[in-house]
Amino acid sequence: MRGSPLLRAFVAFLVLLGFGVPLWRLTLAEAPRAPGMIAVQKTTPIKELRVRLDFTVPPTGLRVLHLGKEIWADPAPGLALERALILAYPKEGIDLLFQFNWPAEKLAAMRVRLTDPEGEEHEKTVWGEGAIAEVVSIP
Amino acid sequence: MKTWLLLILASWALRCPAAAVEKLRVSSFSTVLTEIAERVGGERVLVTAHVKRGVDPHEFEPKPSDLKVVSEAQVILLSAKHLEGYVGKLQQSTGTRGKLVEVGNTFASLKIQDQDPDDPGHNHGKNEEDPHWWHSIGCMQKATKTVCETFAEASPADREWFELNASSYRKELTVLASWAKTQVARLPRDKRKLVTSHDAFQYLAKDFGFSIYAIEGISSGEQPSSKKVSRIIALIKAQGVKAIFPESIVNPKVLQEITRETGAKVGGELYADGLGEGAAATYSGMYRSNISTIVDALN
Repeated sequence: MRGSPLLRAFVAFLVLLGFGVPLWRLTLAEAPRAPGMIAVQKTTPIKELRVRLDFTVPPTGLRVLHLGKEIWADPAPGLALERALILAYPKEGIDLLFQFNWPAEKLAAMRVRLTDPEGEEHEKTVWGEGAIAEVVSIP
Repeated sequence: MKTWLLLILASWALRCPAAAVEKLRVSSFSTVLTEIAERVGGERVLVTAHVKRGVDPHEFEPKPSDLKVVSEAQVILLSAKHLEGYVGKLQQSTGTRGKLVEVGNTFASLKIQDQDPDDPGHNHGKNEEDPHWWHSIGCMQKATKTVCETFAEASPADREWFELNASSYRKELTVLASWAKTQVARLPRDKRKLVTSHDAFQYLAKDFGFSIYAIEGISSGEQPSSKKVSRIIALIKAQGVKAIFPESIVNPKVLQEITRETGAKVGGELYADGLGEGAAATYSGMYRSNISTIVDALN
């Protein structure tokens, strides 16, 4: 190899430096990770549920929300209605937000009957008057 | 002339009855109870807040000036559930004849239940009460009733006034509870996992179906062991927890280690120990801030 010893030493230093950076990254104990990286991402199973609603007084403007999104709407639902819903259903259960209007100053009730994916039935009753915004937790 | 003078005096006396009536003297050792006392008592009580907003009640110790006020108080309000370790000294050193009301002891306690990732449901042998009952609006409703009844017993002439104010405050709490339920309903039940640096949210967890994983123990001054940090990291990874909520973590390296290892973000500040400053200066503000911070971070 030709060239001055100083130049050869400088080239050798650059070569070592080139190997050093990846070596340092590989051996770093606390390697930086991408933000939001989570080892296990659990997905909630999507399942079919059956919901039946019975009212003592017919409501108007019924909306049912799940996780902030409207999943069911009926402007004039009458005294009873039933529907199958396809939803993410974790083992912990779900919350459904019911919004509707009853006549003011007249106490009324709504019964919610939900049949979960395992076929088990859950019942909750909501009482109120006027504008209703009630969360029903199942189970 | 004499009649006129008497009439003038009588009319003056009728105009300002409140000034002539002595106010009920109340000492409060909780920021939340101070708000309840002020709302229920209104202008007919004089509330001294010994624990100020933003002060850690776990660290608070009464000063001689506090003891002097307590000795003259007719009602002394305490959070209870072992939060005020000085309660015995308070009675002894002041010789107070005021009614000492341990408000938190008028309803059931929840135990610290720190979920162990290696053994879910097991509570590490801890059997401590969670004293932070004000994170449940149900407990707040009961506390308002207790304060109202105490004031009415101490000043029977004002019973109607106290009951009217308590009813108005409880209606506000009902509206707040309804708002909170609607907000938390946006969060899937399987994402309701709270990793906090201070185990203070058992009551909120019970109301909304959260699981609690505390980095530290019950006191905000405790330091977590490396074994516990490893467990928390494993748990956050396994459960896919999106955010953690440090309150006043003593060692920021621990927080960095957890966020780096798991990818979970820091979810914002929660008001664990009572009312704070700014938006959290009222109970409603504090509660709304906590609920919004949790739902936004985990959703």
